[in-house]
Amino acid sequence: MSYSDKVLDHYSHPRNVGSMDKGSTDVGTGLVGAPECGDVMKLQIKVNPETSVIEDAKFKTFGCGSAIASSSLATEWVKGKTVDEALQIKNTDIVKELSLPPVKIHCSVLAEDAIRAAIHDWKKKRETAKPETVEARS
Amino acid sequence: MATESTTASPLAETGERVCWSCSAPQAAQFCTSCGKVQPSQSVDYFTFFGLPRKLNIDVTRLQREFYELSRKLHPDLYGQTSKQEQEWSLEQSSLLNDAYRTLKDPIKRTEYLLRLEGVELEEQSKSATETARVSGEIKKQVVPPDLLEEVFELNMQLEELRMSRKMGEDDLALIRELQAHKTEFEKKFEVLTQELKQYWDQWDRVADVDQEEKRHQIRDKMVDVLNRRNYIRNLVRDVNEALGS
Repeated sequence: MSYSDKVLDHYSHPRNVGSMDKGSTDVGTGLVGAPECGDVMKLQIKVNPETSVIEDAKFKTFGCGSAIASSSLATEWVKGKTVDEALQIKNTDIVKELSLPPVKIHCSVLAEDAIRAAIHDWKKKRETAKPETVEARS
Repeated sequence: MATESTTASPLAETGERVCWSCSAPQAAQFCTSCGKVQPSQSVDYFTFFGLPRKLNIDVTRLQREFYELSRKLHPDLYGQTSKQEQEWSLEQSSLLNDAYRTLKDPIKRTEYLLRLEGVELEEQSKSATETARVSGEIKKQVVPPDLLEEVFELNMQLEELRMSRKMGEDDLALIRELQAHKTEFEKKFEVLTQELKQYWDQWDRVADVDQEEKRHQIRDKMVDVLNRRNYIRNLVRDVNEALGS
């Protein structure tokens, strides 16, 4: 099977690889996996608490080229979006953008799962952290 | 392990079908009356071997049957028959091989049965994501979070090992740590395999009974165990590769 140029590009030059402080209230972490292939994907977002805009995103994925490309693309796409906008991203958008073949669709599913999980984690943190969080940020 | 070897007659499974040659009721592969090869039917592998849809099977018996059918379907025996019969015997042969390969391996057998029971592992994940998208709920991951954390950490260490190897170093402390992790994961794998076996027994007990709900419960548990087991299997394979090189 051959990878599309876009997959190869993300694979050889992945964007936004890295990690952020998991404990920070501004950071949401999504850790997801696909048992069929053993892939594991971690995607983190840093959200502005006032505007809900995702200011930064990082990922680390262990898996095939398509999984790496899907998560790399996901971090590019979520940056600059509000969390609600980011929730609109569908796995099929990723499939289309990267021209993923049917056997690699689960990689795009994983990336969507990771985005949703990261946002969910951030929302949960924000709810548990009391309203003064806004003030606490100097 | 209890092996149910009910000699389910293929006749019961194939219903109304009759032999193309003598019109007697036909078996899955050959006519029970005139012995002529039959066109292959779209039957599942259990039915092909006249087995009930159960997970503990007598593999010795299966193998014996496989050899016998292989002999009976050997192309040399069809040199003098019609072209149609030659084709049918080839079709039956390939079905026989697929069926045998799938059923003789207990894990493949389980995965196959789950597919027959309507479980598509990948589809399952995709449709769960779609449901989550619509409802706004968080999707339940098939692999529990703590296992994911461990898998992630182990992969980080593997990457570290590969990096240090590239620099021409062997990080002995890291190798020891990886080996320890590997042993742990192998133990987990064994535990999951045992757990799966218990579900085989449970499944077989309700396979014939009209207890759909119970069957679904056991089916879903098997899916869950298989998912985790596959994950760990791949991980151990990666660690072996990294340590071996």
